[in-house]
Amino acid sequence: MSDVPSIRIADIHKSFGPLEVLRGVSFDVHRGAVVSVIGASGSGKSTLLRCVNHLEPPDSGEIYIDGEPLGSRVDARGQRKPRSLAEINAMRRELGVVFQQFNLWPHMTVLGNVIEAPIRVRKLPRKEAIAYGEECLRRVKLIDKAGEYPARLSGGQQQRAAIARALAMRPKAMLFDEATSSLDPELKDEVLGVMRELAADGTTMIVVTHEMSFAREVSDRVIFLHEGRIEEEGPPADIFGAPKSERLRQFLSKYRK
Amino acid sequence: MSDALKQSLDLSMFWEYRAILLQGLIFNALVFLCAASVALSVGLGAALMRINRFWPMRWIGTLHVEVFRNAPDYIMLVWVHFVLPLLIGMLIRRRVEFHPFVSAVIALGFVYSGYFAEAFRAGIQAIPQGNLDAGRAFGMSERLILWRITLPQVVRRMLPEALNLFISMFKATTIVSLIAVPDLMYNVSMVIAQEMRPLPLYTGAALTYFLIIFLLSVGVRHFSERWRRKILA
Repeated sequence: MSDVPSIRIADIHKSFGPLEVLRGVSFDVHRGAVVSVIGASGSGKSTLLRCVNHLEPPDSGEIYIDGEPLGSRVDARGQRKPRSLAEINAMRRELGVVFQQFNLWPHMTVLGNVIEAPIRVRKLPRKEAIAYGEECLRRVKLIDKAGEYPARLSGGQQQRAAIARALAMRPKAMLFDEATSSLDPELKDEVLGVMRELAADGTTMIVVTHEMSFAREVSDRVIFLHEGRIEEEGPPADIFGAPKSERLRQFLSKYRK
Repeated sequence: MSDALKQSLDLSMFWEYRAILLQGLIFNALVFLCAASVALSVGLGAALMRINRFWPMRWIGTLHVEVFRNAPDYIMLVWVHFVLPLLIGMLIRRRVEFHPFVSAVIALGFVYSGYFAEAFRAGIQAIPQGNLDAGRAFGMSERLILWRITLPQVVRRMLPEALNLFISMFKATTIVSLIAVPDLMYNVSMVIAQEMRPLPLYTGAALTYFLIIFLLSVGVRHFSERWRRKILA
């Protein structure tokens, strides 16, 4: 069992109209691993992450969660059939997502945001959901803001609340979609700090990011996307220390002063 | 001061008939509450159709809004009360008659459902896509997203407009006296027929409506603003 990857991304293609955003992306994420996806704007990073949990259904290819295909299933006669939205819903809840724009629900308190999906989707008793929700808020050091509405929090606090909301679903893996890109520099660190702790605790993570130091220090593997394809991948020491492709060298040089 | 004016400002007669007039007012409130429920639920349905993925649904929703928003409530009321029963009767080959109260609720409910549909639609479309993405990402069904994420925000956003619509709607309930719903205005005309002194009674009715609508809307606005502020920072 141990070599079944937590998430397998197999030959994902995605186009928007005539624009081919992903042209066959494949990689595995093993349990407890942190995979960072880097690349220029428009390289397909965010679309890839949205395909992983079918917020954007891929045109072709498949996502496997613990070996189970997300977009299709094999029926009794051995035929592959697309899954219904309800089935996809049941599977995508295994992936916690943190968005660039936080996307907290403004009409609920921080704790309300955190316990909503566990209660409504996981059908957890309210008491239990609150207890675990508070534990998640403690993990992101936001327990003192549990009763506040999102509008009264700073960007960094909102993003930490969003991380707690994702953790509260006890996901098998966490997906971070440029989680710090819309934050001021001084607020980035508090969010990156939480992400480092999650990684250290053995959380399986796919991190789409522009934070090269985070990718370098925290990831087990780094994937460099270019125009919808994996241009280069490997351990951070190789990617950042000895980039092979010219494009990766050019990309990285923009981040060095 | 002329005698006529003095007479019309003397509200003692209005007070004398307070019991029967109050009964009428209760009818106004009942028509209002029932028609408001119709307007809200039919309006929400029409709004959901207008933003549906399938064009025939969108088309029906748009038709609904255009027809009812552009129909004067008085004409709608008369049509629903006198013509609609004939049409239904023809279809089911039985004589049909609507109780005036039912006609009033249907007519006002549908006219205002056109306005509410537009308010709902604008509110729903103003919800950021990311809010819905977050719901979907956590495995919430579209139905759950509608009830737990979209509508609670829509209701807060559309409150000021909804309040105005409710006020017009309450005012519009006065026309139901035309088809003999025994509301305040209907009872006022009954008393006038008996006492032959219309001026003080009309003044009394005008003041009564003004006070009720004014006090209610101030109260509701105060309460709803505090509730809205919390989420709109």
